[in-house]
Amino acid sequence: MTDPLDALREPLVPVDPDPRFAARLRALLEQALLGGAMSTTTDSVQGEVGYASVWTPEVERAEAFYGAVLGWRVQSGHHQVLGLRQHLGLADGQSYHGTFLSHGVTDLADTVRRIREAGGTAEEPTRQSYGLSALCADSEGLPFALHEIGPRPAADSQPGEIAYLTYEVVDSVRARAFYSAVFGWTFSPGRHEDGWGVDQVRPMTGMHGGHDQPRVVPMYHVADIAEAVAAVDRAGGTAGEVSRQPYGLSALCADDQGTPFYLGQF
Amino acid sequence: MEQRPRVRPDPGFALLDLYEQALPQVYGYLLARCREQALAEDLTAEVFLAAVDACRRERPPELTTGWLVTVARNKLVDHWRRLEREARGLRVISAEPAEPEDPWDRRLDAMLAREVLDELGAHHRAALTLRYLDGLPVPEVAHNLGRTVHATEALLVRARTAFRAAYQNREEGTR
Repeated sequence: MTDPLDALREPLVPVDPDPRFAARLRALLEQALLGGAMSTTTDSVQGEVGYASVWTPEVERAEAFYGAVLGWRVQSGHHQVLGLRQHLGLADGQSYHGTFLSHGVTDLADTVRRIREAGGTAEEPTRQSYGLSALCADSEGLPFALHEIGPRPAADSQPGEIAYLTYEVVDSVRARAFYSAVFGWTFSPGRHEDGWGVDQVRPMTGMHGGHDQPRVVPMYHVADIAEAVAAVDRAGGTAGEVSRQPYGLSALCADDQGTPFYLGQF
Repeated sequence: MEQRPRVRPDPGFALLDLYEQALPQVYGYLLARCREQALAEDLTAEVFLAAVDACRRERPPELTTGWLVTVARNKLVDHWRRLEREARGLRVISAEPAEPEDPWDRRLDAMLAREVLDELGAHHRAALTLRYLDGLPVPEVAHNLGRTVHATEALLVRARTAFRAAYQNREEGTR
């Protein structure tokens, strides 16, 4: 039996709204998503990464590599990457090879105490040109630094910057307990088995358990992943396959000295 | 080594990426159903701001145009519910069974039918829009309206009766 009201059927036909409305709404969304609108709390988030550096045996080679792949311009002699909002750098890593993070905290002495209580190690804070700093290691022996908290990192990333950080850890139960005791971080289950997202922190950070050795793997934001992967290959690194993720495209790569990193196009 | 990163990205990026493509869909859906530009714009803004809130949840939904259109439908129902509340106070729609309908078999003039729909009470308009314009099955109409299937069937009968009376009245008026 037909129903005369079936004649009312209205398939979805896209209609472009007034462009002024479209622009206003977009600005509103950007502000809500990327601006300060979502950080309604005035409490500072402890342990956000304020500085990240890539430590490799040969720092000049690394400068050339990351210059070719990510477009990093490096201040000569100081190994600091120029022109980004994030503070990134490179370092001559005879003793340590990998990505090294420095976390901003309000009270260094208190954090040092917490690190020691939670099974990590921490040197006494020393005064550097940029403020107090302390060298530490977490309960699995991953080295990191503390510094006095500065302005919050931006909520988003630009090409060349870190879009997010993955902690690969041996035992995620122990590692989560350490970082929640030290920085007050809370974790939510991620999309993968034993994968965890750290709530609130910038840049976005996650943790994944079950690895032989602890390490941090950054994901660098690139505008064109195919181009960046080709550049990795040309520069003598290990270029991974590009895979489609819910948020965009990513590829796990390594530089020409074996330092792992992800590339992400969003 | 696994090829995928193990952290959840910020779904806010996904929303901004989706915006240009999804905006005409969401706005088109709403405009065709509420037929007022200013209202369609307000509801469209509500839809995208709801998506921002959803991005902030611990387990954000996967943002797609389909998800946004579903939110748009909810916003439209909320809007009609507000109108209904304003019009009649917090009236509980009676659950009594509706009168059985006479069969009504005729071709509707689509233009006239839409005008008639605009005149109906908000609760009738909501039920008929979801059932006929969107083509949803009755259980989904019920879900969207937050009613039981039984109550929704009764509401649809009353809404069709009201529609038919208004339509026939209009037809007579135009003769």
